[in-house]
Amino acid sequence: MTTRATRSPRRRTVVALAVVLAVLAAFVVRLVDIQVVNANDHVTDSQAFATGAKQTLYGARGDIVDTNGSVLATSTVLYDVQIDPMLAAQGIKKRDADGAVVEDEHGEPVMTTWPELAAQIGAVTGQSAADVQSIVDDALALDPEKRYAVVKQFVSTEEFRELAELELPFLTFPKHPARTYPDGAVAGNVLGFVGSDGTPLEGVEDQQDSCLAATNGTLTYQRGADGVIIPGTEVEKPSTDGGTLKLTIDTDLQWFMQQLISEETQRLNATWGGVMVVDVKTGKIRAAAETDSVDPNDPGASAATDRGSKLFQFSFEPGSTFKPVTIATGLDTGVLAPDTRVYDPDRMVFPNGAVINDDENHAPETLTATGALVRSSNVSLSQLGAMIDPQTRLDYLKKFGVGQGTALDWSAEPKGQYHEVADWDNQTYYTTTFGQAFTVTVPQVASVYQTIANGGEKLPLSLVESCTAADGTVTTPDLPDPVQVIKPETAQTLSTMLENVFAQGTLAADIAIPGYRMGGKTGTAQVTDGAGGYKDGVYFTSLIGFAPADDPQYVVITVFDEPLNTRMSSANRISFKKAMMQVLTHYRIMPSNTATPLLPVN
Amino acid sequence: MSGAVAEPADLLAELPVLPPRRDSPLRALERPLPRRRPRVLYGIVAVGGALLIGAAQMGLSILTTQSSYELSSLTSQQRGLDYQKQALTDSIAGLSSPQYLAANAAALGMVTGQAPTYLRLSDSAIIGTAAGSNGSSAVNALTQAAVANALVSGVPLVSDPSASLTSGASVADEAIAATIDMSTPPAIADGLPTPATH
Repeated sequence: MTTRATRSPRRRTVVALAVVLAVLAAFVVRLVDIQVVNANDHVTDSQAFATGAKQTLYGARGDIVDTNGSVLATSTVLYDVQIDPMLAAQGIKKRDADGAVVEDEHGEPVMTTWPELAAQIGAVTGQSAADVQSIVDDALALDPEKRYAVVKQFVSTEEFRELAELELPFLTFPKHPARTYPDGAVAGNVLGFVGSDGTPLEGVEDQQDSCLAATNGTLTYQRGADGVIIPGTEVEKPSTDGGTLKLTIDTDLQWFMQQLISEETQRLNATWGGVMVVDVKTGKIRAAAETDSVDPNDPGASAATDRGSKLFQFSFEPGSTFKPVTIATGLDTGVLAPDTRVYDPDRMVFPNGAVINDDENHAPETLTATGALVRSSNVSLSQLGAMIDPQTRLDYLKKFGVGQGTALDWSAEPKGQYHEVADWDNQTYYTTTFGQAFTVTVPQVASVYQTIANGGEKLPLSLVESCTAADGTVTTPDLPDPVQVIKPETAQTLSTMLENVFAQGTLAADIAIPGYRMGGKTGTAQVTDGAGGYKDGVYFTSLIGFAPADDPQYVVITVFDEPLNTRMSSANRISFKKAMMQVLTHYRIMPSNTATPLLPVN
Repeated sequence: MSGAVAEPADLLAELPVLPPRRDSPLRALERPLPRRRPRVLYGIVAVGGALLIGAAQMGLSILTTQSSYELSSLTSQQRGLDYQKQALTDSIAGLSSPQYLAANAAALGMVTGQAPTYLRLSDSAIIGTAAGSNGSSAVNALTQAAVANALVSGVPLVSDPSASLTSGASVADEAIAATIDMSTPPAIADGLPTPATH
C-alpha cells in the first residue's frame, strides 16, 4: 500500500502535464486553422490591409507556325482605355515645363478644360472630340459620381503610349493578352480565331487549345510609399507560356491556292470552291484552301458561314471520283482486269429493274474497265461492279474510308454516311458502283487517292506536325496506324488506269503539264436539295489527281459547289492544272522521264 | 521499522574498509575575498561586436534598398523598351505575309505559276513547253487580291506606293502590265550590259 505522500506529487505532475498538453493542443488546432484552413483568406486580408499588391503575370499563348516555321499566329498585347468621368469633367491643372502649377493673376490655378483634353484623347484614338465628350457626358448623365467608363477597347501599344504620355490622371489602361495573325486570311479556315476575351473559337486554335493555352502566374509584393517594391517581400508564382504548334500547312502554297480558288470561284460563279494538297508519302495536308476564308485578325468582317471550314465540314455524294474504288475492289479480288470488257449502250435496264444512264448520249460501244474509267461510264461501272459480291464492295468502300471519318478529328466533321447491303434497294445496288448512295468529305476523297498513289497503303491525314511545350518537350499527335487497303500490285495497275483517264479522256489537252505523268479522275456529283431529291442542273464538281504518276508525290483535289458558268466537272480543269503546276514547281519535283503506257479503251 | 530482530548483526563489519578521506577542496573562509573587477576588454569586445553587427545589418539594408531603387528604375526602363519593341513589332506585322509580298512582286511586273521547262543533259532534250514566259501570271495577286489581311489593308506597297492590297493596281501597274506582253526582248544597242567592277 502506497501512502498519500508518495502518490500525490505524481498525480499532480500528471494533471499539470495534461493541462499543458491540452493548452498546447488548442494552440496547434488554432495554428492549423490559421496557417492551413483559412490561410488564403488571411493572406488576402493581409494584402488588403497592408501596402501589398498583387499582379497577374500573363503567360503568352503559344505560336502557331507552318511546316517551315513561318509564324501564322502569335500573341500580342492590346489595351483598353478607361476613364474616370467625374475627374475628367473637372479638367486638370495646367503645368509649366518644370511641373509647377500655372496660376493666373488671382493666384488661382489655370485649368485645362475637359473639351480640350477630349480633343487630345480623340486625336490619338481616332475618335472625334465630340465622341469622347459624349462618352463622359452619357456616363455622368446616368450617375453624376460615376467613376468608370470605357473610351475605347483594344488600342495598340503605340496608341496606349501616346495616351500615357498625355499624363492624364483620370485615364487607366488595363491590358489584354491578344492574338495577331501576321498572314491574315492565309490558312484562316484552318487556324480559326480567338474571341476578344481570349477564348479559342474555331479551327486549330480551338482544337489544339491544350497545346497553345498558357498558365497565368501571380506576383505579390509590398510597396513603399513611392511605389518601389520593398526588398524581400516579393513572392512570384511564374506563368508558363503556351506551346508552339507546328502545322503541316505550307504558307506560301496555301496562299497561292487561296488566291487561285478565289479567282476561279468568281470566274465560274460558284457558291464556293476549295483546293487541298496532300503529301502522298506522309498523309500530311500541305494546303487546304477554300473561298472566303476568315481573316482571323478580324473575324467580324466575315459572314458567319465563312468563319468555319466548309472544306472539312461539307459532305456530299462523291460520284465519279469513287469509280476507281469499284475497279480497285474488282482488281484486288481478282474479279476484274484492266481489259475486262462490257457492252455499253448509254442506257441500260438491269434484271432487277434498275435503270442506269450515262451522263451523255453516245453510240453503243464495248468498253474495257480502263475505258469505263476514261469515259466515266455509269452503265459500264454498274455492269463491272455487279460482277463483285455487294458485301465485298461495301467492305472495300469502308476500308477506303467511307463512313469512317478521318484522323483530323475536325470539329463538326461528318464521318460520312452509307447503308448496309441489306438496306440497298435495286437502284442503290448499282449506283454504289459509281459513288452514289453514300457521302464523303473532301479530305476523305483525297485520302482515297493518297492510298492508290501510295501503293495501296492508306496513311492517316494530318494537319498538326507537333507541339513544342515551353520547356522544350515535343509531342507529336497520336495517329492511327497505316492500313494496307489494297495490294501494291492492284494499286500499281489502278494507278496506270487512272493515268490513262488523264491521257485519253476529254480533259487530256486542258490539264496536261508537259513532262509530267499524272493520274486522276473527275467527279460531277449531284447536290441534295435537302428534301430527299437532287437539285436540278447544278452539281458539286471535283477533279482529283496525283503526280508524277511514276513516283507519286502529291495529291491535288479541287472542288466547286454549284458552278453556274460551266456546270460539269470540266469547270475544274483550269484550277486543277494551275494548282498542280504550282505544287510541282514549288516542291521542285523533277519531270517523269517516261511516257504514260496507253491501255486499250474499247 | 517493523519486524522482529532476533539478533542484531554487525552490518558494518562486512563493508570494505575505505581509504582515509583526504582534505576536501571546500573550506570555510574567514572573510569574503575582495570583489574582482570585471575585465574591460571582454566588455569592449561584446559591445563592439554588437555595434558592428548592427552597423553591418544597417549597411546591408541600405545597400539592398539602394539596389531596389536601381532595380525599379531598370524595370521601368525595361518596360519602356518592351513598349517600344511591341509597337515596332505591331508596325511591321503583316509586311512579311505572302499576299503582300506577291502584290509587291506583281506591281513590279513579276509573274507566277508558269509551266516549268527542263533541259535534259543526257540527250539535250527539252522537257516542257520550251517557250519563254508569255507574261500572264497564273494568279492576279494585285488586281484581284483575294486573301484578306487586316494588318496590311490599305498599307501602300513598297514597290508602288500608290497601290495597296485593298485598292488594287494603280495606273502605273496597269501600264507595266500592258508593256509586259512584248514578244521580243528589248533591242541591245551598246552590247550586253555589264556591271562596273574594279
